Amino acid sequence: MIKLLYIELYKIFRRPRTYISFGMVAAIALLIQFAMTSGGKDFLAFGMQGISEQFTFEGKILNGYLVAYIILQSLLIHIPLLIALVGGDALAGEANMGTLRLVLTRPISRAQLVLIKFCAGIIYALALIIWLAVVALFMSLLFFGAGDMINMKSDTFILLLKDDIMWRYFLAFGFAAVAMTTIVSLSIFLSAFAENAIGPIMTTMAIVVVLTILSNLELPLFNLVKPYLFTTHMIGWKGFFDDPVPYKAIGRSALVLFSYTVGFLVLTITYFNKKDIKS
Amino acid sequence: MRKYRICCLAVAMLASTLSRAQTADELFASLRTKILQVTDYEARVNMKIDVTYMRVPLLKGTLYFKAPDKMKLERNGGVSILPRKNVKLTLSNLIPTGKVTIIDMGAAAYNGKKVRILKVVPDDEKSTIVLTKIWVDEARLLVVHAETTTYSDGSLVMDLDYDKYAAYALPDRIKIFMDLKDYKLPKSVTMDYDNATPTPPDPKQDKPKKGTIEIKYLDYKINQGLPDSRFE
Repeated sequence: MIKLLYIELYKIFRRPRTYISFGMVAAIALLIQFAMTSGGKDFLAFGMQGISEQFTFEGKILNGYLVAYIILQSLLIHIPLLIALVGGDALAGEANMGTLRLVLTRPISRAQLVLIKFCAGIIYALALIIWLAVVALFMSLLFFGAGDMINMKSDTFILLLKDDIMWRYFLAFGFAAVAMTTIVSLSIFLSAFAENAIGPIMTTMAIVVVLTILSNLELPLFNLVKPYLFTTHMIGWKGFFDDPVPYKAIGRSALVLFSYTVGFLVLTITYFNKKDIKS
Repeated sequence: MRKYRICCLAVAMLASTLSRAQTADELFASLRTKILQVTDYEARVNMKIDVTYMRVPLLKGTLYFKAPDKMKLERNGGVSILPRKNVKLTLSNLIPTGKVTIIDMGAAAYNGKKVRILKVVPDDEKSTIVLTKIWVDEARLLVVHAETTTYSDGSLVMDLDYDKYAAYALPDRIKIFMDLKDYKLPKSVTMDYDNATPTPPDPKQDKPKKGTIEIKYLDYKINQGLPDSRFE
Protein backbone atom coordinates (compact mmCIF):
# COMPACT_ATOMS: atom_id res chain seq x y z
CA MET A 1 0.00 0.00 0.00
CA ILE A 2 2.74 2.46 1.02
CA LYS A 3 4.68 1.70 -2.16
CA LEU A 4 1.57 2.32 -4.23
CA LEU A 5 1.05 5.58 -2.37
CA TYR A 6 4.61 6.62 -3.24
CA ILE A 7 3.91 5.77 -6.87
CA GLU A 8 0.71 7.86 -6.82
CA LEU A 9 2.57 10.78 -5.24
CA TYR A 10 5.33 10.42 -7.82
CA LYS A 11 2.71 10.55 -10.57
CA ILE A 12 1.15 13.68 -9.08
CA PHE A 13 4.36 15.57 -8.42
CA ARG A 14 6.09 14.71 -11.70
CA ARG A 15 3.38 16.48 -13.70
CA PRO A 16 4.22 20.12 -14.40
CA ARG A 17 0.56 21.13 -14.01
CA THR A 18 0.70 20.11 -10.33
CA TYR A 19 3.01 23.05 -9.75
CA ILE A 20 0.66 25.50 -11.45
CA SER A 21 -1.30 25.50 -8.20
CA PHE A 22 1.77 26.26 -6.07
CA GLY A 23 2.84 28.96 -8.51
CA MET A 24 -0.61 30.50 -8.62
CA VAL A 25 -0.94 30.57 -4.82
CA ALA A 26 2.47 32.23 -4.50
CA ALA A 27 1.70 34.71 -7.29
CA ILE A 28 -1.64 35.80 -5.79
CA ALA A 29 -0.17 36.08 -2.28
CA LEU A 30 2.76 38.14 -3.52
CA LEU A 31 0.48 40.35 -5.63
CA ILE A 32 -1.79 41.08 -2.67
CA GLN A 33 1.25 41.75 -0.45
CA PHE A 34 2.70 44.10 -3.06
CA ALA A 35 -0.64 45.88 -3.49
CA MET A 36 -0.96 46.24 0.28
CA THR A 37 2.45 47.90 0.61
CA SER A 38 1.33 50.72 -1.68
CA GLY A 39 -2.46 50.96 -1.35
CA GLY A 40 -3.12 49.05 1.86
CA LYS A 41 -4.04 52.12 3.90
CA ASP A 42 -6.65 53.25 1.36
CA PHE A 43 -8.05 49.73 1.23
CA LEU A 44 -8.34 49.70 5.02
CA ALA A 45 -9.85 53.17 5.13
CA PHE A 46 -12.54 52.02 2.70
CA GLY A 47 -13.30 48.90 4.72
CA MET A 48 -13.35 50.76 8.03
CA GLN A 49 -15.24 53.85 6.93
CA GLY A 50 -18.37 52.89 8.87
CA ILE A 51 -16.62 52.39 12.17
CA SER A 52 -14.13 55.22 11.62
CA GLU A 53 -16.98 57.71 11.88
CA GLN A 54 -17.18 56.91 15.57
CA PHE A 55 -13.71 55.74 16.57
CA THR A 56 -10.16 56.56 15.63
CA PHE A 57 -7.67 53.75 15.20
CA GLU A 58 -3.97 54.26 15.60
CA GLY A 59 -1.03 51.92 15.48
CA LYS A 60 0.05 49.22 13.11
CA ILE A 61 -3.32 48.13 11.72
CA LEU A 62 -1.85 46.98 8.42
CA ASN A 63 0.31 44.13 9.67
CA GLY A 64 1.25 40.61 8.61
CA TYR A 65 -1.68 38.96 10.39
CA LEU A 66 -4.27 41.16 8.66
CA VAL A 67 -2.64 40.82 5.23
CA ALA A 68 -2.52 37.02 5.68
CA TYR A 69 -6.22 37.02 6.57
CA ILE A 70 -7.05 39.05 3.44
CA ILE A 71 -5.02 36.61 1.31
CA LEU A 72 -6.74 33.59 2.86
CA GLN A 73 -10.15 35.24 2.36
CA SER A 74 -9.30 35.66 -1.33
CA LEU A 75 -7.61 32.32 -1.85
CA LEU A 76 -9.42 29.72 0.19
CA ILE A 77 -12.36 29.89 -2.23
CA HIS A 78 -10.03 29.20 -5.13
CA ILE A 79 -7.83 26.54 -3.57
CA PRO A 80 -10.61 23.92 -4.05
CA LEU A 81 -10.47 24.65 -7.77
CA LEU A 82 -6.74 23.90 -7.76
CA ILE A 83 -7.24 20.71 -5.81
CA ALA A 84 -9.81 19.61 -8.37
CA LEU A 85 -6.96 19.58 -10.93
CA VAL A 86 -5.40 16.64 -9.14
CA GLY A 87 -8.48 14.91 -7.71
CA GLY A 88 -10.39 15.02 -10.99
CA ASP A 89 -7.44 13.44 -12.76
CA ALA A 90 -7.04 10.60 -10.25
CA LEU A 91 -9.12 7.88 -11.91
CA ALA A 92 -10.27 9.56 -15.13
CA GLY A 93 -6.66 10.42 -16.05
CA GLU A 94 -5.68 6.76 -15.77
CA ALA A 95 -8.71 5.78 -17.84
CA ASN A 96 -7.83 8.36 -20.47
CA MET A 97 -4.25 7.14 -20.75
CA GLY A 98 -5.44 3.51 -20.83
CA THR A 99 -3.52 2.54 -17.72
CA LEU A 100 -6.44 1.91 -15.36
CA ARG A 101 -6.90 -1.72 -16.36
CA LEU A 102 -3.17 -2.25 -16.11
CA VAL A 103 -3.08 -0.77 -12.60
CA LEU A 104 -5.95 -3.02 -11.54
CA THR A 105 -4.09 -6.12 -12.68
CA ARG A 106 -1.93 -5.66 -9.59
CA PRO A 107 -2.93 -7.61 -6.49
CA ILE A 108 -4.90 -4.79 -4.94
CA SER A 109 -8.64 -4.35 -4.70
CA ARG A 110 -10.46 -1.53 -6.45
CA ALA A 111 -11.38 -0.08 -3.03
CA GLN A 112 -7.69 0.00 -2.11
CA LEU A 113 -6.86 1.79 -5.33
CA VAL A 114 -9.53 4.44 -4.60
CA LEU A 115 -8.21 4.83 -1.04
CA ILE A 116 -4.62 5.23 -2.27
CA LYS A 117 -5.72 7.85 -4.80
CA PHE A 118 -7.66 9.57 -2.01
CA CYS A 119 -4.65 9.55 0.36
CA ALA A 120 -2.39 10.91 -2.38
CA GLY A 121 -4.93 13.65 -3.06
CA ILE A 122 -5.01 14.55 0.64
CA ILE A 123 -1.21 14.75 0.77
CA TYR A 124 -1.26 17.06 -2.25
CA ALA A 125 -3.96 19.23 -0.60
CA LEU A 126 -1.94 19.36 2.65
CA ALA A 127 1.18 20.37 0.73
CA LEU A 128 -0.81 23.17 -0.89
CA ILE A 129 -2.17 24.35 2.48
CA ILE A 130 1.34 24.32 4.00
CA TRP A 131 2.61 26.27 1.00
CA LEU A 132 -0.28 28.71 1.48
CA ALA A 133 0.70 29.12 5.14
CA VAL A 134 4.28 29.87 4.14
CA VAL A 135 3.51 32.43 1.43
CA ALA A 136 0.41 34.00 2.99
CA LEU A 137 1.23 34.05 6.69
CA PHE A 138 4.97 33.84 7.17
CA MET A 139 5.87 36.03 4.19
CA SER A 140 3.26 38.62 5.23
CA LEU A 141 4.75 38.63 8.73
CA LEU A 142 8.18 39.04 7.16
CA PHE A 143 7.07 41.99 4.99
CA PHE A 144 4.63 43.73 7.33
CA GLY A 145 5.58 42.56 10.84
CA ALA A 146 3.25 41.36 13.58
CA GLY A 147 0.57 43.38 15.35
CA ASP A 148 -2.97 43.33 16.70
CA MET A 149 -5.41 42.04 14.11
CA ILE A 150 -8.76 43.55 13.25
CA ASN A 151 -11.47 41.33 11.87
CA MET A 152 -14.53 42.98 10.36
CA LYS A 153 -17.63 40.84 10.17
CA SER A 154 -20.90 42.11 8.72
CA ASP A 155 -22.21 43.21 12.12
CA THR A 156 -19.23 42.89 14.46
CA PHE A 157 -15.82 44.46 14.75
CA ILE A 158 -13.25 42.24 16.46
CA LEU A 159 -9.80 43.17 17.73
CA LEU A 160 -7.40 40.34 18.49
CA LEU A 161 -4.22 41.00 20.42
CA LYS A 162 -1.02 40.00 18.63
CA ASP A 163 -0.06 37.39 21.24
CA ASP A 164 -3.42 35.72 20.75
CA ILE A 165 -3.34 35.16 17.00
CA MET A 166 -0.78 32.56 15.86
CA TRP A 167 -2.62 29.59 17.40
CA ARG A 168 -5.75 30.72 15.54
CA TYR A 169 -3.89 30.52 12.23
CA PHE A 170 -2.62 27.00 12.99
CA LEU A 171 -6.14 25.81 13.80
CA ALA A 172 -7.54 27.67 10.76
CA PHE A 173 -5.06 25.94 8.45
CA GLY A 174 -5.94 22.63 10.11
CA PHE A 175 -9.62 23.25 9.44
CA ALA A 176 -8.84 24.28 5.85
CA ALA A 177 -7.11 20.92 5.40
CA VAL A 178 -10.31 19.14 6.56
CA ALA A 179 -12.34 21.22 4.08
CA MET A 180 -9.94 20.42 1.24
CA THR A 181 -10.28 16.71 2.01
CA THR A 182 -13.95 17.04 1.07
CA ILE A 183 -12.96 18.54 -2.28
CA VAL A 184 -10.48 15.72 -2.89
CA SER A 185 -13.19 13.12 -2.25
CA LEU A 186 -15.73 14.99 -4.43
CA SER A 187 -13.33 15.27 -7.35
CA ILE A 188 -12.27 11.61 -7.08
CA PHE A 189 -15.95 10.63 -6.94
CA LEU A 190 -16.63 12.54 -10.17
CA SER A 191 -13.42 11.17 -11.64
CA ALA A 192 -14.73 7.61 -11.24
CA PHE A 193 -17.52 8.33 -13.74
CA ALA A 194 -15.36 9.80 -16.50
CA GLU A 195 -12.88 8.58 -19.06
CA ASN A 196 -11.29 12.00 -19.42
CA ALA A 197 -9.92 14.25 -16.64
CA ILE A 198 -11.35 17.49 -18.04
CA GLY A 199 -14.93 16.50 -17.22
CA PRO A 200 -14.53 15.81 -13.48
CA ILE A 201 -12.16 18.78 -13.04
CA MET A 202 -14.65 21.17 -14.63
CA THR A 203 -17.62 19.59 -12.86
CA THR A 204 -15.92 19.89 -9.46
CA MET A 205 -15.11 23.52 -10.19
CA ALA A 206 -18.69 24.19 -11.31
CA ILE A 207 -20.16 22.54 -8.20
CA VAL A 208 -17.84 24.51 -5.88
CA VAL A 209 -18.56 27.82 -7.65
CA VAL A 210 -22.35 27.35 -7.75
CA LEU A 211 -22.59 26.15 -4.15
CA THR A 212 -20.28 28.94 -2.93
CA ILE A 213 -22.61 31.47 -4.58
CA LEU A 214 -25.62 29.81 -2.94
CA SER A 215 -23.82 29.83 0.42
CA ASN A 216 -23.13 33.55 0.23
CA LEU A 217 -26.33 34.91 -1.25
CA GLU A 218 -28.64 36.32 1.41
CA LEU A 219 -31.90 35.09 -0.03
CA PRO A 220 -34.59 33.32 2.03
CA LEU A 221 -34.87 30.43 -0.43
CA PHE A 222 -31.15 29.69 -0.22
CA ASN A 223 -31.13 30.09 3.57
CA LEU A 224 -33.12 26.86 3.77
CA VAL A 225 -30.48 24.79 1.99
CA LYS A 226 -27.35 26.58 3.22
CA PRO A 227 -26.81 24.47 6.35
CA TYR A 228 -26.65 21.36 4.16
CA LEU A 229 -24.12 22.66 1.62
CA PHE A 230 -20.51 21.74 2.26
CA THR A 231 -19.41 25.13 0.88
CA THR A 232 -21.23 26.84 3.78
CA HIS A 233 -19.03 24.93 6.21
CA MET A 234 -15.79 25.25 4.27
CA ILE A 235 -15.30 28.77 5.62
CA GLY A 236 -15.41 27.43 9.18
CA TRP A 237 -11.71 28.39 9.49
CA LYS A 238 -12.93 31.97 9.95
CA GLY A 239 -14.54 30.96 13.21
CA PHE A 240 -11.08 30.79 14.81
CA PHE A 241 -10.78 34.55 14.33
CA ASP A 242 -14.00 35.23 16.19
CA ASP A 243 -14.11 36.11 19.87
CA PRO A 244 -15.15 33.94 21.59
CA VAL A 245 -14.31 31.13 19.17
CA PRO A 246 -17.56 29.27 18.29
CA TYR A 247 -16.06 25.83 18.86
CA LYS A 248 -19.46 24.13 18.77
CA ALA A 249 -20.29 25.57 15.34
CA ILE A 250 -16.79 24.81 14.03
CA GLY A 251 -17.09 21.23 15.31
CA ARG A 252 -20.46 20.92 13.59
CA SER A 253 -18.98 22.24 10.35
CA ALA A 254 -16.06 19.81 10.60
CA LEU A 255 -18.54 16.98 11.14
CA VAL A 256 -20.58 18.00 8.07
CA LEU A 257 -17.41 18.14 5.95
CA PHE A 258 -16.22 14.80 7.31
CA SER A 259 -19.64 13.26 6.52
CA TYR A 260 -19.45 14.55 2.95
CA THR A 261 -15.92 13.19 2.60
CA VAL A 262 -16.91 9.74 3.86
CA GLY A 263 -20.09 9.84 1.76
CA PHE A 264 -18.25 10.67 -1.48
CA LEU A 265 -15.62 8.05 -0.70
CA VAL A 266 -18.18 5.30 -0.05
CA LEU A 267 -20.09 6.23 -3.20
CA THR A 268 -16.84 6.21 -5.22
CA ILE A 269 -15.81 2.79 -3.92
CA THR A 270 -19.33 1.39 -4.45
CA TYR A 271 -19.53 2.67 -8.00
CA PHE A 272 -15.93 1.87 -8.90
CA ASN A 273 -16.30 -1.71 -7.65
CA LYS A 274 -19.16 -2.26 -10.11
CA LYS A 275 -17.73 -0.23 -12.96
CA ASP A 276 -16.98 -1.97 -16.20
CA ILE A 277 -13.45 -0.82 -16.88
CA LYS A 278 -12.66 -1.01 -20.55
CA SER A 279 -9.42 0.90 -20.76
CA MET B 1 -47.14 97.31 55.76
CA ARG B 2 -48.17 94.49 53.45
CA LYS B 3 -46.67 96.26 50.43
CA TYR B 4 -43.46 96.77 52.39
CA ARG B 5 -43.28 93.04 53.21
CA ILE B 6 -43.86 92.04 49.56
CA CYS B 7 -41.21 94.51 48.46
CA CYS B 8 -38.72 93.15 51.01
CA LEU B 9 -39.46 89.58 49.94
CA ALA B 10 -38.97 90.45 46.26
CA VAL B 11 -35.68 92.22 47.00
CA ALA B 12 -34.55 89.25 49.11
CA MET B 13 -35.40 86.77 46.33
CA LEU B 14 -33.63 88.88 43.72
CA ALA B 15 -30.59 89.21 45.95
CA SER B 16 -30.60 85.47 46.58
CA THR B 17 -30.81 84.72 42.87
CA LEU B 18 -28.05 87.17 42.03
CA SER B 19 -25.84 85.84 44.77
CA ARG B 20 -26.43 82.26 43.60
CA ALA B 21 -25.60 83.20 39.98
CA GLN B 22 -22.40 84.81 41.12
CA THR B 23 -21.54 81.76 43.18
CA ALA B 24 -22.16 79.49 40.22
CA ASP B 25 -19.87 81.62 38.07
CA GLU B 26 -17.25 81.63 40.78
CA LEU B 27 -17.58 77.92 41.29
CA PHE B 28 -17.15 77.33 37.58
CA ALA B 29 -14.19 79.72 37.43
CA SER B 30 -12.49 77.89 40.34
CA LEU B 31 -13.23 74.56 38.72
CA ARG B 32 -11.83 75.71 35.38
CA THR B 33 -8.68 77.06 37.06
CA LYS B 34 -8.16 73.76 38.84
CA ILE B 35 -8.64 71.71 35.69
CA LEU B 36 -6.50 73.98 33.54
CA GLN B 37 -3.54 73.74 35.92
CA VAL B 38 -2.76 70.45 34.16
CA THR B 39 -1.24 71.35 30.83
CA ASP B 40 -0.20 67.82 29.94
CA TYR B 41 0.00 64.36 31.36
CA GLU B 42 1.14 60.85 30.62
CA ALA B 43 -0.88 58.08 32.24
CA ARG B 44 -0.76 54.31 32.26
CA VAL B 45 -4.30 53.18 31.54
CA ASN B 46 -6.49 50.11 31.20
CA MET B 47 -9.30 50.67 28.73
CA LYS B 48 -12.41 48.55 28.53
CA ILE B 49 -14.66 49.09 25.51
CA ASP B 50 -18.19 47.82 25.80
CA VAL B 51 -19.91 48.55 22.50
CA THR B 52 -22.66 46.33 21.06
CA TYR B 53 -20.90 45.66 17.78
CA MET B 54 -17.31 45.62 19.06
CA ARG B 55 -15.42 42.77 20.66
CA VAL B 56 -12.28 44.28 22.02
CA PRO B 57 -10.18 42.85 24.86
CA LEU B 58 -8.96 44.99 27.75
CA LEU B 59 -6.49 47.44 26.22
CA LYS B 60 -3.46 48.38 28.28
CA GLY B 61 -1.45 51.36 27.19
CA THR B 62 -0.19 54.86 27.84
CA LEU B 63 -2.48 57.82 27.35
CA TYR B 64 -0.86 61.14 26.49
CA PHE B 65 -2.71 64.42 26.84
CA LYS B 66 -1.69 67.97 26.07
CA ALA B 67 -4.01 70.93 26.58
CA PRO B 68 -6.25 71.96 25.04
CA ASP B 69 -7.20 68.93 22.96
CA LYS B 70 -4.26 66.72 21.97
CA MET B 71 -4.68 63.11 22.99
CA LYS B 72 -3.01 59.85 22.00
CA LEU B 73 -3.18 56.31 23.26
CA GLU B 74 -0.06 54.21 22.68
CA ARG B 75 -0.11 50.47 23.11
CA ASN B 76 3.46 49.30 22.64
CA GLY B 77 3.06 48.67 18.91
CA GLY B 78 -0.56 47.51 19.21
CA VAL B 79 -3.69 49.07 17.77
CA SER B 80 -5.27 51.77 19.93
CA ILE B 81 -8.90 52.82 19.77
CA LEU B 82 -10.28 56.16 20.89
CA PRO B 83 -13.69 57.76 20.44
CA ARG B 84 -13.69 60.10 17.48
CA LYS B 85 -14.32 63.81 17.04
CA ASN B 86 -15.62 65.69 20.04
CA VAL B 87 -15.59 62.81 22.43
CA LYS B 88 -12.33 63.47 24.27
CA LEU B 89 -11.44 61.52 27.34
CA THR B 90 -10.72 64.64 29.31
CA LEU B 91 -12.68 67.32 31.09
CA SER B 92 -10.94 70.01 29.08
CA ASN B 93 -13.49 69.80 26.32
CA LEU B 94 -16.29 69.97 28.85
CA ILE B 95 -14.79 73.02 30.50
CA PRO B 96 -14.32 75.31 27.52
CA THR B 97 -11.67 77.98 27.78
CA GLY B 98 -13.78 80.49 25.84
CA LYS B 99 -16.67 82.58 27.03
CA VAL B 100 -19.51 80.57 28.49
CA THR B 101 -22.85 81.13 30.14
CA ILE B 102 -23.38 79.33 33.43
CA ILE B 103 -26.83 78.39 34.64
CA ASP B 104 -27.14 77.24 38.22
CA MET B 105 -29.44 74.25 38.48
CA GLY B 106 -29.18 74.03 42.26
CA ALA B 107 -28.07 71.37 44.69
CA ALA B 108 -28.75 67.67 44.32
CA ALA B 109 -27.47 64.32 45.49
CA TYR B 110 -25.38 62.14 43.20
CA ASN B 111 -24.24 58.67 44.31
CA GLY B 112 -24.95 59.68 47.90
CA LYS B 113 -22.87 62.85 47.63
CA LYS B 114 -24.10 66.41 47.76
CA VAL B 115 -23.39 68.07 44.44
CA ARG B 116 -24.18 71.29 42.63
CA ILE B 117 -25.46 71.07 39.07
CA LEU B 118 -24.29 73.65 36.57
CA LYS B 119 -25.26 74.08 32.95
CA VAL B 120 -22.45 75.39 30.77
CA VAL B 121 -23.42 76.89 27.43
CA PRO B 122 -20.52 77.94 25.17
CA ASP B 123 -21.07 81.43 23.75
CA ASP B 124 -19.00 80.61 20.68
CA GLU B 125 -21.43 79.82 17.86
CA LYS B 126 -18.82 77.67 16.17
CA SER B 127 -18.57 75.37 19.16
CA THR B 128 -19.53 71.78 18.44
CA ILE B 129 -20.97 71.51 21.93
CA VAL B 130 -24.55 72.65 22.43
CA LEU B 131 -24.64 72.29 26.18
CA THR B 132 -22.73 70.68 29.02
CA LYS B 133 -24.30 69.84 32.32
CA ILE B 134 -21.88 69.14 35.16
CA TRP B 135 -22.41 67.71 38.62
CA VAL B 136 -19.86 69.40 40.90
CA ASP B 137 -18.68 68.10 44.26
CA GLU B 138 -18.31 71.54 45.82
CA ALA B 139 -16.39 70.36 48.87
CA ARG B 140 -13.63 68.78 46.76
CA LEU B 141 -14.10 71.05 43.75
CA LEU B 142 -14.42 68.14 41.34
CA VAL B 143 -16.74 67.24 38.49
CA VAL B 144 -18.20 63.82 39.30
CA HIS B 145 -20.64 63.55 36.43
CA ALA B 146 -21.04 65.34 33.12
CA GLU B 147 -23.51 65.24 30.27
CA THR B 148 -22.60 66.86 26.98
CA THR B 149 -24.84 67.39 23.99
CA THR B 150 -23.08 67.97 20.69
CA TYR B 151 -24.46 69.21 17.38
CA SER B 152 -23.37 66.26 15.29
CA ASP B 153 -22.22 63.41 17.53
CA GLY B 154 -25.18 62.92 19.82
CA SER B 155 -24.84 63.03 23.56
CA LEU B 156 -22.04 61.93 25.84
CA VAL B 157 -22.35 61.07 29.50
CA MET B 158 -19.29 60.76 31.73
CA ASP B 159 -18.87 59.43 35.27
CA LEU B 160 -15.66 60.32 37.07
CA ASP B 161 -14.08 58.84 40.23
CA TYR B 162 -11.17 60.52 41.97
CA ASP B 163 -8.58 59.37 44.43
CA LYS B 164 -4.83 60.04 44.41
CA TYR B 165 -4.86 62.81 41.82
CA ALA B 166 -7.94 64.70 43.00
CA ALA B 167 -5.80 67.77 43.73
CA TYR B 168 -5.23 68.06 39.95
CA ALA B 169 -8.85 67.19 39.10
CA LEU B 170 -7.52 64.10 37.36
CA PRO B 171 -9.75 61.06 37.74
CA ASP B 172 -8.68 57.53 38.63
CA ARG B 173 -11.55 56.16 36.61
CA ILE B 174 -13.76 57.54 33.85
CA LYS B 175 -16.79 55.81 32.45
CA ILE B 176 -18.13 57.26 29.23
CA PHE B 177 -21.60 56.48 27.94
CA MET B 178 -21.95 57.40 24.28
CA ASP B 179 -24.55 57.27 21.53
CA LEU B 180 -23.59 55.01 18.65
CA LYS B 181 -24.54 54.76 15.04
CA ASP B 182 -25.28 51.38 13.53
CA TYR B 183 -22.43 49.29 12.12
CA LYS B 184 -23.18 47.10 9.13
CA LEU B 185 -21.15 45.71 6.25
CA PRO B 186 -22.59 43.64 3.38
CA LYS B 187 -22.31 39.91 4.06
CA SER B 188 -21.38 39.35 0.43
CA VAL B 189 -18.22 41.38 1.12
CA THR B 190 -17.28 40.02 4.55
CA MET B 191 -18.36 36.44 3.70
CA ASP B 192 -19.16 35.75 7.34
CA TYR B 193 -18.93 32.29 8.75
CA ASP B 194 -22.46 31.65 9.93
CA ASN B 195 -22.03 29.95 13.28
CA ALA B 196 -25.73 29.13 13.30
CA THR B 197 -26.30 31.04 16.52
CA PRO B 198 -29.53 32.94 15.89
CA THR B 199 -29.26 36.56 16.92
CA PRO B 200 -32.23 37.51 19.08
CA PRO B 201 -34.20 40.46 17.70
CA ASP B 202 -33.14 43.67 19.33
CA PRO B 203 -36.20 45.37 20.87
CA LYS B 204 -34.26 48.66 20.96
CA GLN B 205 -33.40 48.45 17.26
CA ASP B 206 -34.96 51.81 16.42
CA LYS B 207 -33.55 53.58 19.46
CA PRO B 208 -30.05 55.01 19.43
CA LYS B 209 -27.53 52.41 20.57
CA LYS B 210 -25.40 53.08 23.62
CA GLY B 211 -21.85 52.09 24.34
CA THR B 212 -19.52 52.54 27.28
CA ILE B 213 -15.80 53.07 27.53
CA GLU B 214 -14.22 52.65 30.93
CA ILE B 215 -10.71 53.90 31.56
CA LYS B 216 -8.75 53.19 34.71
CA TYR B 217 -5.79 55.50 35.21
CA LEU B 218 -3.09 53.60 37.05
CA ASP B 219 -0.68 56.51 37.45
CA TYR B 220 -0.03 59.97 36.06
CA LYS B 221 3.04 61.98 35.16
CA ILE B 222 1.73 65.54 35.25
CA ASN B 223 3.04 68.67 33.52
CA GLN B 224 6.22 67.07 32.17
CA GLY B 225 6.18 69.31 29.09
CA LEU B 226 5.16 66.78 26.44
CA PRO B 227 6.33 67.83 22.95
CA ASP B 228 3.79 68.14 20.12
CA SER B 229 5.74 65.50 18.22
CA ARG B 230 4.44 62.93 20.73
CA PHE B 231 0.98 63.32 19.17
CA GLU B 232 2.01 62.95 15.51
